[in-house]
Amino acid sequence: MATVDEVADITLETPGKRAPLVTGGLTFSSITEIVAGVPEQEKPPLAWYIGFSVSVAAMGMLFALIGYLVFTGVGVWGNNVPVYWGWPIVNFVFWVGIGHAGTLISAILCIFRQNWRTSINRFAEAMTIFAVCCAGIFPAVHIGRVWVFYWLFPYPSLYLNMWPNFRSPLLWDVFAVSTYATVSILFWYMGMIPDLATLRDRTKSRVHQIGYSIAALGWTGSARQWSRYEKAYILLAALAAPLVLSVHTIVSFDFAVSQLPGWHTTIFPPYFVAGAVFSGFGMVLTLIVPAREWFGLKDLVTTRHLENICKILLATGSMVGYAYAMEFFMAWYSGVPNEQFTFLNRAFGPYYWAYWTMVTCNVVVPQIFWFKKCRTTPWIMFVASIFVNIGMWFERFVITVTSLSRDFLPSSWGYFEPTWVDIGMFVGSFGLFFTLFLLFLRFMPMVAMAEVKSVMPHGEHDPIAEADHV
Amino acid sequence: MGDHHDTISVPNDETIRLGDIRNKLMIGGYGVGLAAMVVALLLGMFAQDQLRHFFFAYLTSYLFFLSISLGALGFLALQHLTRAGWSASVRRITEVIAMTLGPMALLFLPILFSVLSGSSVLFEWNDAELAASDHLLAGKEPYLNSTFFAIRAVIYFGVWIAAAWYFLSQSTAQDESGDPKLTLRMENKSPLVVAAFALTVTFASIDWAMSLDWKWFSTMFGVYFFAGAMVSFFSFTLICCATLQSWGKLRDVITVERYHDLSKFIFGFVLFWGYIAFSQYLLYWYGNIPEETVWYLVRQNDAWRSVSLVLLFGQFIIPFLGTMSRAVRRNKALMVGWAIFLLVMHWVDMFWLVMPQYSPEKLPLGWMELACLIGLGGFFIGNIAWIAAERRLLAIRDPRLPESLALKNM
Repeated sequence: MATVDEVADITLETPGKRAPLVTGGLTFSSITEIVAGVPEQEKPPLAWYIGFSVSVAAMGMLFALIGYLVFTGVGVWGNNVPVYWGWPIVNFVFWVGIGHAGTLISAILCIFRQNWRTSINRFAEAMTIFAVCCAGIFPAVHIGRVWVFYWLFPYPSLYLNMWPNFRSPLLWDVFAVSTYATVSILFWYMGMIPDLATLRDRTKSRVHQIGYSIAALGWTGSARQWSRYEKAYILLAALAAPLVLSVHTIVSFDFAVSQLPGWHTTIFPPYFVAGAVFSGFGMVLTLIVPAREWFGLKDLVTTRHLENICKILLATGSMVGYAYAMEFFMAWYSGVPNEQFTFLNRAFGPYYWAYWTMVTCNVVVPQIFWFKKCRTTPWIMFVASIFVNIGMWFERFVITVTSLSRDFLPSSWGYFEPTWVDIGMFVGSFGLFFTLFLLFLRFMPMVAMAEVKSVMPHGEHDPIAEADHV
Repeated sequence: MGDHHDTISVPNDETIRLGDIRNKLMIGGYGVGLAAMVVALLLGMFAQDQLRHFFFAYLTSYLFFLSISLGALGFLALQHLTRAGWSASVRRITEVIAMTLGPMALLFLPILFSVLSGSSVLFEWNDAELAASDHLLAGKEPYLNSTFFAIRAVIYFGVWIAAAWYFLSQSTAQDESGDPKLTLRMENKSPLVVAAFALTVTFASIDWAMSLDWKWFSTMFGVYFFAGAMVSFFSFTLICCATLQSWGKLRDVITVERYHDLSKFIFGFVLFWGYIAFSQYLLYWYGNIPEETVWYLVRQNDAWRSVSLVLLFGQFIIPFLGTMSRAVRRNKALMVGWAIFLLVMHWVDMFWLVMPQYSPEKLPLGWMELACLIGLGGFFIGNIAWIAAERRLLAIRDPRLPESLALKNM
């Protein structure tokens, strides 16, 4: 069994000898026991019930407020001249961004042969899908008349007699987000089929048997099925990889194609993508640190996995810092007075508190991950991840609100105040997210068992085994 | 250690050093380079334009070769940062390419002296009279002045040369000692190198390319330059590997798997370049603000329109489709063809960045451009041979070399 020292050692790697990805002497069968054991419990622990009740209550509030909004109108939000886009777009971008970590882990890290991803990809992909659900709600209810939401799509309508505006990035958003949601669900589900079959074969409950049988699509684990599975997996990974870039690029276009100082700048596409990956990994860390504790996954999601996540946070947080710096520098360098004013206003105007919250949480806090101690101590990284979540929400707030509240016409400057509906819906979206996530933990295999086994040593004379146990 | 390690034989020492070829390359490279530079200078002097054409053509080709060396340095830092194993068999070649940043600093001196002497033939912002009379330029004076320009150039080259020398010297020291601690040490330094690299490359590209048109600005410019640099670096490395192998070097060491890996990076960065170039264009086209579109206006009117289209198809759409297939990526001869094609395109990209400032209406493509390209290209080849010297072209005792030799794509 793994001692504490061994677990800590795993973050060090002697060049030429790859450290094992799974510790504690886990075998193929013990991994199945641990992972499948969670959904197989008769009853989940009390904490699950408490968390679930709170989440469902918050989710209920969200849907009640949506009802109120639909019947009353979008005026229940704080959006008003000059800030037409308030919390709804902030929340939308916040949640879409969080989704990005899942796709990055499952697609891009797969292409880069980062085998450690197998322990956390299922978890992160689930997070992606639930985050996209939360994100989709805000623009959907923002259109006002939600019952004609399908006008968003270009379809030959005799009644409407017109198309949506193809030059509008909002239409591009419809395509980008719906494609992203579709591919993410496909990828997540397809990857889960072998594990669902494992659950089907193990369960003793008739109801579960039927449910998992349908979901497992008749998986038998034959060589032919595996061969097709691997092909489909790598194809979906290749298709999903550009989606990591495209979705948040299009979201950044929502802002950047305008002429508004603070929005209209060319760094926006890669800057938004880096920010999205940053926020997504922040959320992964927020979820995985407690989850590995509660579900006994410490040998699957090892300190090394956490350290890698922290390193990615440091890298992407610094990229975001680079973008902040470039924006400031170019605003000065451009010599355009409006640009210069906008950035000074951000840092020292009425929203200075939001700006410095953003800089502190997104650029300063991740710098602690230069230190190994911080990259290997779960509670420190958990606290830091909360800061990242906060900071990334504030980033979208700063971009959206500061630029709009003081634009070209000083006579119509204003100060944005959210209403209770704004706040309630944002809190409620966390309810929706955690409800879905807790259901996932309860009924689905939260670690990709089959994939983890594929990167473990396969026997005494296996090259991986020899590399691992030298 | 298991059986699989023993099956890899140590390559014959002759096949991992340049040997006799080195002198031929140096004489050929420096000889041709010098001759072509003399021709370029003579052409410049006969033009009687205070060497204006010469300096623009020189800068075009200079940025082209500089970006290859910079790509190598960025690549090295990232390999150590990610503890990459696949690249161990090609890493020494890239260490040598990165070290050309040393001689590149010397080749920058003509530009630096021209700026320090107060000449504004290349950088219009260096015109004292203009700076005094133009309100906009006066505002940028704290950044765009010859002293700070020189200080920054010294910092950039200081950082690059130190980093490149560090990686090359540690790695060659490992050839002798085989000490895995050297690898760990490079891994520890790599994040700092990546951070310094990002900042220096960004500001160098602003200084040397963007500030040619001192009115124009784009926050994405550094990323754009980086993307092109990586495409050309991977292309150049792939050509180096194939050339060395055709001379009988590194035959069994660089397998088809490594060509496949390099090609995947080429494909990826072609896509990335297209993404960055498109995003930058789209946002300025869409915003349609005169001080931003003016830069593109020059490039999509008159003679420059065709160059823009060549880039759109040549550096993005055609190679994107052409290098997508696995069969192509595993075909050495075909990939060498694509790599040469992409290097040509990257030169066109630098030409497109620099030259419209010299000649906004007519396409200045003639003997001067060719002479500068051949001149700096000759020096570049000579520099590589000079640095390669008696060094091994393979990090023979890199602890991850066995992994690199054995690793296969699925």
